[in-house]
Order: sequence, then structure tokens, then C-alpha cells
Amino acid sequence: MLTRVLQLLADGVLLGLVYAVVGLGLSLLLGIMGIINVAHSAFIMLGAFFTLGMLEYFHVDPILSFALAIPVFFAVGAIVFRVIVVRMERAEQNQGLVAMFGLMVLIENVGTIFWTTNTRVVTVGYTNIRLHIADLTVPAVRVIAGALAVALITAFWVFLNRTLTGRAIRAMAQNQDAAIAMGINVTRLSLMMFGLGIASAGAAGVVIAMVFPFAPQTQIEWLSWAFLIVILGGFGRVENTLAAGLLTGLIQTMATALMPFDYVYLLLYVALATVLVLRREGLRGAVRRTI
Amino acid sequence: MIVSAELRIEDVIAGYVPGHPILRGVNIIAKPGRVTVVLGPNGAGKSTMLRTVAGYLTAESGRISLGETEITRLPGFRHIEHGIAFLPQGRSTFPDLTVGENVELGGWSLRGDKSRLRQAMDKIFGRYPTLVPLRDRPAGSLSGGQQRTVEIARLLMADPSVLLIDEPSVGLAPNIARQIYRELEAFRDEGRTVLLVDQDVRAAIRIADYVYVLNSGNNDIEGDRSAFEGDLGTMVRRWLGV
Repeated sequence: MLTRVLQLLADGVLLGLVYAVVGLGLSLLLGIMGIINVAHSAFIMLGAFFTLGMLEYFHVDPILSFALAIPVFFAVGAIVFRVIVVRMERAEQNQGLVAMFGLMVLIENVGTIFWTTNTRVVTVGYTNIRLHIADLTVPAVRVIAGALAVALITAFWVFLNRTLTGRAIRAMAQNQDAAIAMGINVTRLSLMMFGLGIASAGAAGVVIAMVFPFAPQTQIEWLSWAFLIVILGGFGRVENTLAAGLLTGLIQTMATALMPFDYVYLLLYVALATVLVLRREGLRGAVRRTI
Repeated sequence: MIVSAELRIEDVIAGYVPGHPILRGVNIIAKPGRVTVVLGPNGAGKSTMLRTVAGYLTAESGRISLGETEITRLPGFRHIEHGIAFLPQGRSTFPDLTVGENVELGGWSLRGDKSRLRQAMDKIFGRYPTLVPLRDRPAGSLSGGQQRTVEIARLLMADPSVLLIDEPSVGLAPNIARQIYRELEAFRDEGRTVLLVDQDVRAAIRIADYVYVLNSGNNDIEGDRSAFEGDLGTMVRRWLGV
């Protein structure tokens, strides 16, 4: 019995780490920049296909792709910021939302043209290895994915809380006028933060590709996961996103063990509704400004 | 002693919507080691003037200069490099950051030189010892007066020669407001240029060396403190149109 509970906890934590990394970029861009980036999951999808492409054409291991995805998607984010986000600067909030929605549709459709709607999996040497720790059995690939997620989440936490630049980014979110008066170049740091948000989506895509099958159109399902995490954990704080991811992973794993699979999402969305009723702030609290 | 230069605002026309200027040709000179006060009724353009000088708003025409350097089109975030610090109206701490982190960000322009940044921090916490025990508290959890002290401490981190201050006493208890004005006098005595915009006419005139009055975006009257000390009532009544 104890072994079974520990096994469920281990599975739940490993799944939860994947959820947390999927929600990370959405939470940060919403909380820090006030941008509801509905194209977040489209970049996750691009990250997944990046992993597949690097493996198929260049025989690059997903672990290395994870490290490569960060600068590559940072650059993509910087371009999106320059081309789309700066133009939304003075627009109404919902125009930004529509712009990002348009970008999501564009990416998904271009993805479908290139990669069709076939479901893909990334298979590497360690994909089917199972690790035995005491009485527990866990897939090696989940442990690796979980470790990468922890590394990314920790790096973001350290950057935002322990570096002067990270604190300047948080300061800019809290009082832009005062931040400018300190000499903070708000446009440059906004570009950096947006780039990091997209970089985290790309890296999350690598993590997803390691553990789940994917196709261009599955991105919309990841978007709902990401929103679930963000609403459960609130936005802008790395540690809350991690907690919400872990909670979701654990609830889902426990529920899957105890009830028919059809009810699992029902349970998660009841949790979501409860949080919304209790906190009452929903997404509204974040929509206080556009960058 | 701080070596500061004269801040000159010449024939500045500026506003938020092109073609609808709020400032219609304002002229102000703020001298080093002086408190220059700008007064005027609501909507006279006092805050707009300060935001234009601070680079938050670009003048449509006219010239703003600090000594020999023209700063008319200098973006807001580059003013601190020229020794110009700005305290915006209302509360402006970073509420989720600690007092220490708030003050440290005041030294953002010194970030390339860690030891200088640390020295500046030590000097500022030495100057405002009441902040030392609050150092690890989030700034948003402090009282209004304490937050104002954090803002002023943060403002001084880069050791500015020019201070642009927008209504420093709004919402503060009278005894705290008095401390803030004493602090502004201390800045003057250190040789800094202080340009103060205020609604609290009496308190501002008490520390002023020179006073400008703006009305509808134009210069109205100006003069030494002595010229204003006598009959404030008449001036304020005239603003109110009674």
C-alpha cells in the first residue's frame, strides 16, 4: 500500500514538473508584463518540433536541444516583441490579445503545412528505460524531463529574485515611471523579459516532446493546461507556478488511480472553479497594464 | 559639496496630444544650491512641466538644458546619467520588493561598479537609519511616511545634482511632511539643484529661494520668496477666481 502511494506521488511530481514548466512562461508574461500570450502553446509546439527536427536531421539529443532551444527561442521572442508587441504598446488590452491569438493560429497552421496533423513521438536511447529506486519504478525519460524542468524553473527564480536585472524587471512591472527614473531602460528589459518568456515556452516544448506524443494541433490542449496552472498558482511568481504544477500533477495522478479517466479533468476543473471563487481575482488582476 | 549646473527651461511647448499643448512657452531657471518652487492652480501645467524636464514627455519646441548640455530630447531613463533624479507624484515604491532592494535599484546606474554600489548603499542607510531595521520588509507593507523615506533614499543613491520633486507631501501626516521639507532643504544646503512642484503653497514657499507661478501653461508671476510671503491669500484667491 505504502509503495503504491509513493509510486503515485513520484508519478504525480514528475507529471507536475512538466505542467509547471508548461505554465511558466505564460505566468511570467502575464504577471510581469500584463501580456496574455495565447500564442504561448504555439511556441511550445514549435519547441517540440524543434526537438524532433534536431534529432532527425542532426542527431542531437533532446537534452542538448533543451539547452539550444533557450537562445533560439529567445531570439524568436525578441523578433515577435519588435514586430508585434511594441505595436500593441498603446493599443487596448484586447487588441493585444487578438494579435497574439492571430499569431497562435498562424503558427499552428504553418505547423500543419510543414508537419501535417500526424502525431509524432521522440524516441531516443533512454526512452524506454525504467529506473528502479527501492520499490519504485519510474521511466528514465520522465526523470530527465523533470530534472530539466526543475533546472529551468530554478534558473528563472534565481534570475528574477537574486539578480539586479531580474529585480529591475520586477520593479518595472510594479511602477514603470519610478523604474525609468532609476535609469532602467524599460523597452530593453521588456524585450528581454518577453524573449525569456518565449524561451521558456520553447524549452517547455522540448520537455513535452520527451514525454508526450504531439502534433501541431495538440498545442491548444497545452494552452488549457498552461491557463489551468496560471489560474491555480497566480501569475508572475515562479514559486507559485511550480506549486500549481505539482498540485495539478498530483491531483491528476491520484484521480487517475482512483476513478475512471473521464472524471479526472472534471476534478481538475472543479479545483479551478473553487480557486476562482475563493480568489475572485481571476485573470482580471493581471490586466492592469500593457507594456 | 555637490557641483551642480543650472537647469534652464526655455520657451517649452509640450503636451500629451499633438496640437493641444499644455505648456505654451514656459521659462524656468533652477539654480544650484537653491530650491526653485513652481506653483499654480490645478491644470496650470506644473506636473507636465516636471515630466517634460524628466524626459517622460518630449517638448514640441523650446529648449531644456543642464549647464552646457542640451537635454530637450533625452529619454527619461538617461537623465540619471546626467545627474538628474525625478520623484514622481504619488506613491512610487516597488511594493513587492524589499526596502533594501528598492534602495539598491536607485543605484541601477552604478551597476557596472559593484563596490561603488555597495558604498552608496551603506552611505544611504547611514543617512536614513530608520530604514535599517526595515531593510528586509517588502516596501508595500510600510506606512506612507516610511515609503516616502524609501523613495527619497532611493532617489539619492545615484548622488544626483538635480532633484525634480512632484508634490512630496500629498497624503502624509503633517509632522512627516515637515520632515520631508527639511530633507529638501538639506539637499539644497548640499549644493544640489531642487526644482519642486507643489500644491501645498505655504509649505513650499517656506523653503523656497525663488518662486514661479504658472497659469494655463504660461508663466504668470515670479520672484524671491520675500515677494510671496506677504499676501499668499490674494494669490490663491485669484487662482480660484473668487
